[in-house]
Amino acid sequence: MVELGRERAGTGGAGRRPSAARRTDRMSAQPKLRSLFRTQAKTMRLSQGAVGILLLLPALALLAGLTLYPMLYGIWLSLHHKHSFFPQQSWAGLENYWFLLDDAEFRESVWRGVVYSVSTIVLQIVLGVAAALALNQSFPGRSLVRGIVLFPYMIPTVVAVILWKWLLNNQFGLINYGLVALGLIDAPINWMGRAYIMASLILISVWQFFPFVLLAVLARLQTIPNELYEAARVDGAGAFSRFLHITLPQLASVLFIVLLLRTIWMFTKFDTVWLMTQGGGAEKYIRTLPVYAYLRTFHYYEAGTGAAASVVMFLLLVVFAAAYFAIFRREERL
Amino acid sequence: MQTRQPGVAARLILGLAAAAGLALAANFGAAAQDKVVRVWHTETNPASVKAVAEIVARFEKAHPGIKIEAAALAWDDLEGKIQAALAAGAPPELSHGQPITCAALRQQGLLLPLDDVVQAIGENNLWDQIKQVCRADGHYYGLVHAAGTALLIHRSDLAKKLGLKAPRTWDDLVANAKALTMDTNGDGKPDIYGLTIPGDNLFINIIVGELIAANGGQLFDSSNRPQFTDKRMIELLQFWKRLTPYMPPGWEGHSYLDTFINMYGQKAAMMFQGYGRGASLIEQYAPKEMQNTDHFNVWTRPTGPSGSKPVVQVDEEPWMLFKGSKNPEAAKEFLKFFYKDENYIEYIKSVPIHFFPITKSLRQSDQYKQIPMVKRWSGWLEVQEHALANDLARPTLVVKYEDLHDKPYLMQVLGSGIIRDMVLEATAEGVSPEDAAAKAQKRAEALIKKAGYAKW
Repeated sequence: MVELGRERAGTGGAGRRPSAARRTDRMSAQPKLRSLFRTQAKTMRLSQGAVGILLLLPALALLAGLTLYPMLYGIWLSLHHKHSFFPQQSWAGLENYWFLLDDAEFRESVWRGVVYSVSTIVLQIVLGVAAALALNQSFPGRSLVRGIVLFPYMIPTVVAVILWKWLLNNQFGLINYGLVALGLIDAPINWMGRAYIMASLILISVWQFFPFVLLAVLARLQTIPNELYEAARVDGAGAFSRFLHITLPQLASVLFIVLLLRTIWMFTKFDTVWLMTQGGGAEKYIRTLPVYAYLRTFHYYEAGTGAAASVVMFLLLVVFAAAYFAIFRREERL
Repeated sequence: MQTRQPGVAARLILGLAAAAGLALAANFGAAAQDKVVRVWHTETNPASVKAVAEIVARFEKAHPGIKIEAAALAWDDLEGKIQAALAAGAPPELSHGQPITCAALRQQGLLLPLDDVVQAIGENNLWDQIKQVCRADGHYYGLVHAAGTALLIHRSDLAKKLGLKAPRTWDDLVANAKALTMDTNGDGKPDIYGLTIPGDNLFINIIVGELIAANGGQLFDSSNRPQFTDKRMIELLQFWKRLTPYMPPGWEGHSYLDTFINMYGQKAAMMFQGYGRGASLIEQYAPKEMQNTDHFNVWTRPTGPSGSKPVVQVDEEPWMLFKGSKNPEAAKEFLKFFYKDENYIEYIKSVPIHFFPITKSLRQSDQYKQIPMVKRWSGWLEVQEHALANDLARPTLVVKYEDLHDKPYLMQVLGSGIIRDMVLEATAEGVSPEDAAAKAQKRAEALIKKAGYAKW
């Protein structure tokens, strides 16, 4: 390869005036060079292919090790009776799945997961779109406000949940103090108790994750041509009409993706839900499917059943995604 | 340029491989020099972490060639970590665990005996109760790091003012809770509640284990069948239900630490599931003039209507030595060193009233008695010693010591939350105790059958 480089350097010389002798040499060397180029080209193709494979290998190994293997292992585990502590395991076939179908706790956790996901997603989208519309307007300090509203999404979940737990504490929390001081309630509400814990969890989750919707929607809003609004104004369209007939259709493609991602993320959300109680008394009232799978694995010590619950969760999401794409295919092509 | 790419890539890959090789070689080099003992414990408070670190430093100085890697882990993290380590075939040398976990792991042949350590301490130097924990076939498979029995903490100033005495029966306790629920500002609403109880799964399980033993009942019979619909369990649920009007609303959402906050924050006058740790928290957070036994003291626990003696849970996580760990002998040396009075006292002093020494020699030593907090809260220690010395203390969910060995599924029962759900349904959800118990019975039966222990 170095030799080839030299040949090239020798035959190049754009600024030089080659002598006749050199020209003769060059002409006689041409067939040799062509042959050399052909061989070299073959070598290069092979080398490039090998390099390509080499470069792909780490990524493929990572994918196989971190995604494919755990997924296959999870499926394999779900077909076994396996104690989480002990090394023994035995073939169970579909027993773990039949058990889940018969388990009221599992059904309740699926239902709670649906309630939690749907409530938080609807509220996140409403709040996120409203905030994005507001932050798309011009006003003094807009950049600062845009930065501040991202705060909930930027802080670690554990910090967010601890913060809210203190605010909501029924004995010493600021929220109860404020509500009592304003005369809105007579006595402190136990936000972390049975009656309100799901509402508290939804509130915290919406607060924490609506900035994601805001970011995506705001980015799209900034690309909508102003001419569309101006033309609509000329035609006499009001603000609501402009929103309904221009903004919303323009946002459809973004909302399509946002809705899909947020559904997957909220339905599989574990950290926020778990940190709310960490197995505390009111935990059973917010036990969603990921928490159920965790409890089955690490508290019931039934790794097989826990894995089966995780596989079911995966399948539910696959079904949802397939249905979602089938129903909203037209919007997806926007 | 293209022709040089393979060379660069190859060199890059070779370089990375060489670096990884060097790192591995360095790692193996270090491992060859020191015997590493991994120690996982659950005392995460800074004082205990510091005490362990100091003992480790002294040990390493006295034992060149042994390196102790101590890690303080939260309970939830610990069990997951043990599970992962066992699955990977790389358990730590030493770890804390629940007595029922220790018994289950022992049954599976995953633990090594600690007889050498017990001999070094002196078998007669241990409280009898301590010797019962995770002992099987004449061998000690677990050795408790410190004991601390549950305490009925109460506002002694208020009790004295109202002329209340230590409750002997469950009825007495309900009466005391009622009397101590007070409206101090005259607005018609309670400002101080009579009793605070945590709603955590672990603590509800602990309390049910204690109460059923104090009511002469059991959780599982000899065929492993749950006894949740038994009359004594129904009495227990009714008793709990009778207490709830005198507990802060939403008590089911209160954590263990919340109940301490209720106590030293003067929102509650009795704490059913208190521990010696409370003394440290009172000294840290209660108003200065209240940081004494004139304001916060302890009562012995009451007995149930069908029982004959009070029973309290003892918070006593045993050290477990794992089979398959790399340096078990070095780990034993570390434990022998840990329990020497001059080292052990440093650990005990980190939470002096909660960490009741497992060695009589330390408990009776002047060095221990001169610890300022021990002097200030001696009554709290006497109640604990009374329970330990009179067979009134039991590990979580253990009614009889045989349960530790006969019922290896207790850890699953604890983790499942079945008992917690039963209590919450009967006390906070308006379900009748009989119906809540029947539902729990069904769930527990399914769990035992699924785990393969049903013999009925």
